[in-house]
Amino acid sequence: MYRELEKCPRSLLVCEKSNFENEKSSHDTHVSKHYFNHKVSLVIPECRSLPPKLASVINNFKKYFLIKDLPVYEFLDKDFLENVVWNGALYALSYKTSIDQDNTIALLPSSHLILSVDKDTYEQLGLEGKPSQYNHKQPMRYVVTIDLTEKSMAPGGKRYQRVLSSLKERVPLKSHFLLARHNSGVEGDRVLQSLLARYQWKDHTPVVRSHTLKDLSCPSLRSTDLRGEQHSCDPSSFLEWLGAVSAGVSCDNTATSFTSTYVCPEPNTPVSQALHCTLSGLLLPEDIYSLLQELRRYFDEPKFTSWLSLTVHGFMDSPVSWGDREHGFHKGGENFYNFVLFRNQDYWLHMGTGSNDRCPP
Amino acid sequence: MEALVNARLPADHEHILHIVALKKKQAEKFTTAFLKKNLTSMTEEKINDIVQHKAVLLHYARKKKERKKIKRTKGLNAKQRRELKVFQLKPENQKYELFLPLHELWKQYIRDLCNGLKPDSNPQNIQQKLLKADFHGAVLTVAKSKCPSYVGTTGILVQEMKHVFKIITMEDKLKVIPKRNSVFAVEIDGFVSHIFGSKFELRSSERSAKKFKVKGTIDL
Repeated sequence: MYRELEKCPRSLLVCEKSNFENEKSSHDTHVSKHYFNHKVSLVIPECRSLPPKLASVINNFKKYFLIKDLPVYEFLDKDFLENVVWNGALYALSYKTSIDQDNTIALLPSSHLILSVDKDTYEQLGLEGKPSQYNHKQPMRYVVTIDLTEKSMAPGGKRYQRVLSSLKERVPLKSHFLLARHNSGVEGDRVLQSLLARYQWKDHTPVVRSHTLKDLSCPSLRSTDLRGEQHSCDPSSFLEWLGAVSAGVSCDNTATSFTSTYVCPEPNTPVSQALHCTLSGLLLPEDIYSLLQELRRYFDEPKFTSWLSLTVHGFMDSPVSWGDREHGFHKGGENFYNFVLFRNQDYWLHMGTGSNDRCPP
Repeated sequence: MEALVNARLPADHEHILHIVALKKKQAEKFTTAFLKKNLTSMTEEKINDIVQHKAVLLHYARKKKERKKIKRTKGLNAKQRRELKVFQLKPENQKYELFLPLHELWKQYIRDLCNGLKPDSNPQNIQQKLLKADFHGAVLTVAKSKCPSYVGTTGILVQEMKHVFKIITMEDKLKVIPKRNSVFAVEIDGFVSHIFGSKFELRSSERSAKKFKVKGTIDL
């Protein structure tokens, strides 16, 4: 039919297996380096409702702000830089901007301002940048990275003035922004509030949805068998199953169903119920990390299930995926990671990206 | 011929003709005496002159007028110019203020060229005029460039070459900016015109004769 459509662009999946108690385990850096997460989904087999401890962690996720038409130079305000940006843990991402056609702006908690701009804007902006990695013959997109902690970027400095005049006079970039802060100092709050007061804004709390799935078959996993070589399912079919579960696709392949012929990968075990809980919004890595820590404690009490899974999806239009690795959108813009936690504190980590993305760490 | 005339008679001829050839001195004496005797109207000097002038003018020829050679002052050649740095601004003259009068002059010139700039004048007309105008003294700003560090440079144009603009900035710095891959903005009395440098790679004298074509979109 449509050959081109059937062809799948390359995607990367990095799988690793380790134990939380292992000193060299780098699960914490992987979580904290994935800055912009928009959805977390939890699948716990043999569980009816969220345990109260987990529920309290989930409800304690930080709220975030949506500011409308915020000019980018506001981030360079002296007061704002000193009290909010340099104090760390400010996450800002332009909202409703597509990475492949609009100017996308992100402020990382490491105080890096990333402007992913199209060619025309770049030529007018007058700030040094690099052509995006996902260009064809002619670069149509450039990425400008500004380290706000640099000495020359101190307010009043030469480079600071240049960046400010670029963003204020030459190209007054503005966009809707999603903004969240992890550290909440008194002074920082005051400055942030004064910024918010000048623009139209709204605060949001992450949306929690949870429901129980009844009578489904789960793939049986063994923590020692990451690749699925010893009669258990391999990572990609496991992730496919997870996706089917969260999308509500039936896996029983009944003869009367014409929409889906999907079957749960072999070998599987029937499970009477499973909890599926999703959170969406601008979710901070710090909150996700505390959720992960809480999930580890889930196995402190004896449970029927031998594993549970935590999937974290990044924003598809974020200019970065892990750290400052450039992210692009080709067909899906996916960048996500998935933890499978086992009873004995072993874990699997799957990190997946689409075609316009560097390899996950 | 002369040699033949002056040659001595061969000895056998003397014998046949029964004459004795005179010796050279004797012959000379005889000739002068003979001429003197026969040409009594002429003085001895004149006769001598005629004997001396052997050339005979058969045609009338006018004397050519001697033309006075005009010595043209030869200019310096390219190498000498380079060595002498004729077209380079000396560092002590790189002052923004020094060029402000030039800018005033330029503004005057453009106003005259466009018959006075009014808010309601047709911008297209002005642009047509500006295309052929001289830009020395204009305040140029780099509006767009493939090289980001040129963007935002403002100053008075002091020298235009085929491929570069030389601009003096407010900070009294002389900047050389390539025309290619940049867009320049020129402001006069509220009219801002953009110049696509890549299409402007001509000397200003050549530009006045060039025909610019209208294009829909131009990319850098």
